[in-house]
Amino acid sequence: MALSLDTAPVGRAPRAWDFVRLKLRLMRNGLRGQAWRIVALVLGVLFGSWWALAAAVGLGFSGTASAEAGFVVATFAGAAVTLGWTLIPLLFFGVDETLDPARFALLPVPRRILTRGMFAAALVGVPAMMTLLGTSGLAIAAGIRFGPIEAVVALVGVVAGLALGVVASRALTSAFAALLRSRKVRDLAAIVLALLASSIAPLQWVVMSAADYGSLDQALSVARILAWTPFAAPYVVPFDIGEGRWLAAAARVALTAATIALLARWWSRTIESAMLGTSSTPPARAVAGHAAGPVASLYSTVLRPLLSPTRFGAIVARESRYWWRDVRRRASLISILMASVVVPFALNFAYAGGELNGQGLGTTGFGFAVSIAGTMGGLLLANQFAFDGNAYAAHLLASVPGRLEVRARAVALTLVAGPIQIAVVVGMVAWSGRWEQLPTGLGMLATFFGGAVASAAILSVLAPYALPETTNPFAMNSGGASAKGLLAFVAILAAMAICAPMLVASAFLGSAYPWLILVIGIAYGGTVAWLGTLVAGAILDRRGPEVLMAVTPRR
Amino acid sequence: MVARTGPPSLSSCPRRTAGSSRGRTVYGRRRATVKAVIALALRGLTKGFDSKIAVFEVDLDVPAGSFFGLLGPNGAGKTTTLSMAVGLLRPDTGAAFVLGQDVWADPVEAKRRLGVLPDGVRLFDRLTGGELLAYTGLLRGMNPAEVDARARELLDVFDLVDAGRTLVVDYSAGMKKKIGLACALLHAPRLLVLDEPFEAVDPVAAALIRDILHRYVAGGGTVVFSSHVMELVEKLCSHVAIMSDGEIKTVGPLDEVRGGRSLEQVFVEVVGGRVATGHELSWL
Repeated sequence: MALSLDTAPVGRAPRAWDFVRLKLRLMRNGLRGQAWRIVALVLGVLFGSWWALAAAVGLGFSGTASAEAGFVVATFAGAAVTLGWTLIPLLFFGVDETLDPARFALLPVPRRILTRGMFAAALVGVPAMMTLLGTSGLAIAAGIRFGPIEAVVALVGVVAGLALGVVASRALTSAFAALLRSRKVRDLAAIVLALLASSIAPLQWVVMSAADYGSLDQALSVARILAWTPFAAPYVVPFDIGEGRWLAAAARVALTAATIALLARWWSRTIESAMLGTSSTPPARAVAGHAAGPVASLYSTVLRPLLSPTRFGAIVARESRYWWRDVRRRASLISILMASVVVPFALNFAYAGGELNGQGLGTTGFGFAVSIAGTMGGLLLANQFAFDGNAYAAHLLASVPGRLEVRARAVALTLVAGPIQIAVVVGMVAWSGRWEQLPTGLGMLATFFGGAVASAAILSVLAPYALPETTNPFAMNSGGASAKGLLAFVAILAAMAICAPMLVASAFLGSAYPWLILVIGIAYGGTVAWLGTLVAGAILDRRGPEVLMAVTPRR
Repeated sequence: MVARTGPPSLSSCPRRTAGSSRGRTVYGRRRATVKAVIALALRGLTKGFDSKIAVFEVDLDVPAGSFFGLLGPNGAGKTTTLSMAVGLLRPDTGAAFVLGQDVWADPVEAKRRLGVLPDGVRLFDRLTGGELLAYTGLLRGMNPAEVDARARELLDVFDLVDAGRTLVVDYSAGMKKKIGLACALLHAPRLLVLDEPFEAVDPVAAALIRDILHRYVAGGGTVVFSSHVMELVEKLCSHVAIMSDGEIKTVGPLDEVRGGRSLEQVFVEVVGGRVATGHELSWL
């Protein structure tokens, strides 16, 4: 590794600036010769700047609003920034590992300089710059409301707030690093984080409806409390100064400084455990041996009576286990299933005019909501070969026929996700009490699940892409891979197009002949899936080695 | 990028063969001979990645019943060559034959006779050792009772019974190599292709693997494995090939290649590495 540290003359201790240079160098080398990465970076910067500018202008205009409103905006914006910086890196643990503390483990860098350098390097980056740009709107607001002195104070406050967020995020991630290194804990964390991530959307509604119904007074009382927490304290100091509350200003400055100091101390304590890296794991704990034979133990108790010990049965058994045992699969399964619960309910709300009147949707709207859920379920297969990385080589070496392979995987997903999705539809019907919609709903679910399985199966053999080999179940590749990931939208459109006739049929016949829709829907979805896997299997037979190469992570 | 021109026609490119059958044409009309004598035959295998040619025109004959070591420094193209030989990586040009079956034209037949331990390839590691063996056996279309019996025996021989319900992902590196080798052996192949089977394996496990491979060869099987540990290759192999920069530099029976010197000397000479003269690093 070409550390720019070794360009330093012998005997000079590294300074924080060296870390910044190292990070810039690593970023530049990462871009070298990778046109798509440059494009992704430029797009990211443009997109980020657009949002940051919008935020800056919006926050700037808050300077013309009433003093109370301005105070509320400043506290909420500040708290959101700090909270975001603290939590998002935990959610996406290891997202910015351009400078991984573990890589410095063998270098004689004093801990104090290391933390200082890592801090400086963390500030150099698109997210930090965008945050700073966005929140600088608060300085403009303070300038408009009070004057130049308060504007400068606000600017200092914005920088301090960012510093607080960065230190908090670093301290937390390095504190959790040791914990997250154990596979069991990581698997558990994956579930919790998947639930957290998928509950963001419902949480948003709660906040938005609260904003609709709540008043400025309520917000102000929340803001007053927030302003005395480190989350928002640095952002409201200009209000104290502008309104002459000198003591409060001093207290908030002290609160901010103390929090940063304490977090920095904590970070510098925990960074050593993060530096130990993944070099050692405790020995695996052995549990008592096989009661059943190896073949029988491959099949879970539920599946054993259903599946024969054949190639097809073995793949279905292994796949259905993997949807739970593999962290990354479980994360996407939970997120998508949560989404397929949330989206239909959201549509339900929207049609009912935001009121929780429990009237439910008309038959067509209901069918549409359910069809989205079914599509999302089937789409889990869109990059199915990448989940196992190059373990797919075992199938290739055993020359598993493509059609059998693709169909077994589709059957396994149906066994895992099907019952949950059916339960969602039944739950929605039970909630609205319109049981006559149940057959239509289930019919549409089967249709669109089948359609999505078909298009996802074909996509998965035509455009597979490697997922990074990482401990973070949420890590996604940036750039080129996400370009391929966008093809999932094509698959959605294809599935929708394939299944559109059924949508029309349900609109015209759904009310009159619901059971007919159920029967036709299952037949339609089944046929489409059968045909799609036929095509995908034929492609896989020709492209097996290419699929393997595409899903092999670059090392 | 090297253009893919399809497999060379059988009659148009009879190639010089190496190894024990050096100088004999074993192609075209004498295909029957290939079946009888040569366990693995590579013909003009070439593979380029982007603009770099990783493997160029590799010809190799591995005699049946031999213990064949493929040597080479890191990045010599060993893994690329073996991947193409076993049907995991499509060659730009050239062909590979396992016991006379064309790997790329008739993969099902070729792969039936072939057991592979790839390097750097994940296993289905969220299964226990026993489950993984059962899965591999069923994937190969074997009879479940037979799979059960063989899996138990392999777990016992490879000393993996104690691991019990531990998932393969939690195995140590040595245990992972052992379970990978067990998976490769399960369907009783006639040719074993092992990529770096001794990498990251502790001495006890290495000795066990060595014994098992020796027995396998004594029973008429053929082993091809890649390595860069000279001592191991000298101890184990009947034949060696030295690869460097994507080409086979030397090939033949071990004693012929050594010619009285140590294998390491031959290797460094062939690969063209530098030897410390004693003047460098004087400050050490």
